[in-house]
Amino acid sequence: MSELKERLIQELSDSVVEMDEEKTEELSKKYVENGFDAFEGITEGLADGMNRAGVLYEEGEYFIPELLVCSDAMYLGLDILKPHLKYADSDSKFKAVVGVVEGDTHDIGKNLFKIMLETQGFEVYDLGRDVPPVEFVKKAKEINADVVGLSTLMTTTMDNMKVVIDLLKEEGMREKTIVMVGGGPISQSFADKIGADGYAPEASKSARIAKELVTKLKN
Amino acid sequence: MDYPDKMTPVERATAKAKGEPIDRIACNPNIGNGMARIAGYKISQFNTDPEALADAIIKTYRRFGSDGARVFTDLFLISEAMGAKINMPYDNTADLEEPAINDMSEFDKLKVVNPYTDGRIPVHLRALEIVRDEIASEVGVTASVVGPFTNAFFLIGVEKMTKMLLKDPESVHKLCEISLQSCIALTDAVLEKGTGVTVSEPLSSCTVVSPKHFREFSAPYLKRLIDHIKARTGKLVIHICGKTDPIWEDLVDMGVDVLSIDDIADLENCAETVGDRMVIAGNVDPSGVLYAGSREDVRKATLKCIKQGIKAKKGYMIMSGCSLPVEVPVENIDAMMDAAREAGWPITGEKLDYLLSIDKYKD
Repeated sequence: MSELKERLIQELSDSVVEMDEEKTEELSKKYVENGFDAFEGITEGLADGMNRAGVLYEEGEYFIPELLVCSDAMYLGLDILKPHLKYADSDSKFKAVVGVVEGDTHDIGKNLFKIMLETQGFEVYDLGRDVPPVEFVKKAKEINADVVGLSTLMTTTMDNMKVVIDLLKEEGMREKTIVMVGGGPISQSFADKIGADGYAPEASKSARIAKELVTKLKN
Repeated sequence: MDYPDKMTPVERATAKAKGEPIDRIACNPNIGNGMARIAGYKISQFNTDPEALADAIIKTYRRFGSDGARVFTDLFLISEAMGAKINMPYDNTADLEEPAINDMSEFDKLKVVNPYTDGRIPVHLRALEIVRDEIASEVGVTASVVGPFTNAFFLIGVEKMTKMLLKDPESVHKLCEISLQSCIALTDAVLEKGTGVTVSEPLSSCTVVSPKHFREFSAPYLKRLIDHIKARTGKLVIHICGKTDPIWEDLVDMGVDVLSIDDIADLENCAETVGDRMVIAGNVDPSGVLYAGSREDVRKATLKCIKQGIKAKKGYMIMSGCSLPVEVPVENIDAMMDAAREAGWPITGEKLDYLLSIDKYKD
């Protein structure tokens, strides 16, 4: 790896962690102009920065506002690098459907989960907020999803997570689909009770678990 | 009443304050819109019908004998009255659909609420009167006021406000100031009815913002609201969701009398570190235990909370960590109240250890 490329990748990662949007944009342009590999710029630079931000969140150094601004910076960079991606290994890419369950319109957690899944190499279909259970199942079927991620912030809408799982069963899709649940009121025991595959209190951990579970399922 | 309490919640609280014997430790399961299930209403009725809202609160209190009756349906009472659009499902809890303004250029659209005319506030105030007249002689009646910082998020949108904390602090202060004025207007209308106020300030949680941001943006306004309330009633109950340990001392300094903490927070640590200066309430897990657990799970979790909570020298009240899910099993709420009765009074460590060592329910 050239010295300049190595330095730029490091700086991309740093500028995301440091919430510096302008610098991330500037560095991403410079990276592309030099003709460096976009995939490495994303995974080892931008996504690495977001991962580090996630760790800082888990350690209580960063909070939601910091994470959101980090992700803004990361997306600015992604927009610049993405058009230069060579999709050689896109066939083997894991696919995920994510959304906030019906009745809830808070989507910070879902958005973070989505970003973290992307950094783990997932192709993510985001259904947005207030999503009826049947929509999750429809989309999962359509794209042959490996993961369905359900998020909520309110105790009042948790029940809809179980409805999605039951629908997946009815459609005979439960065995090949990993269901991840998350959000403020969700706990491991709740995830166990409704029969979800995975849960983690934080989006970054959750995405890592999702990848592990899919990899295990496929082998 | 078909439960064996010998005192009403008011008698219990009064005796406790005087250091006299009581029949059992105080317990408030914090039933939110689940009251609709208990009293046979649809949740949307609470948006327009004060009689229905009051009746559900009264019936719920009578069903369980809980130590507290609160007029509360959702967090959006003030933001709606200030222009936010609220999604109100037929039989589920209301939620923010669109904030009151899209960006700060529209700031002038925001007006301090008139609690007697705006949004659903008149419905809540009327319900408060009915509840007060019917049961305030038996149980402490409060209305819920959302904290100024949390309410400010709903004025401009949660994600936008979150980023503004880092990018546009001046505007955050402007939003919090007008938000506070509305909180005070509602508080005054509530206090005029002669009842208490409980403050919910969930977005001040350290699960969301850093203690630094809490001190910079939330605390100054919350302190002014607390001063305002305490100057009139002398007592302040606050609930903050999520992680709160880094700001417990701040809340003590602000004069909070009763702090209700989420199940994520460490009750024992809270009772030991700040329980000599605040009454601590909490923190039976609302989803994992009360919603998803068995009656025995609820009983044990409640007894464990008592064991941790009674280390608070100023006092402890059993509460769920947050408002209960609507579909929480009624028998689990009974199991929580009954655990308080089982613990009785006085409570000793040996007694709790014994109760914890046996199973009461066979399901």
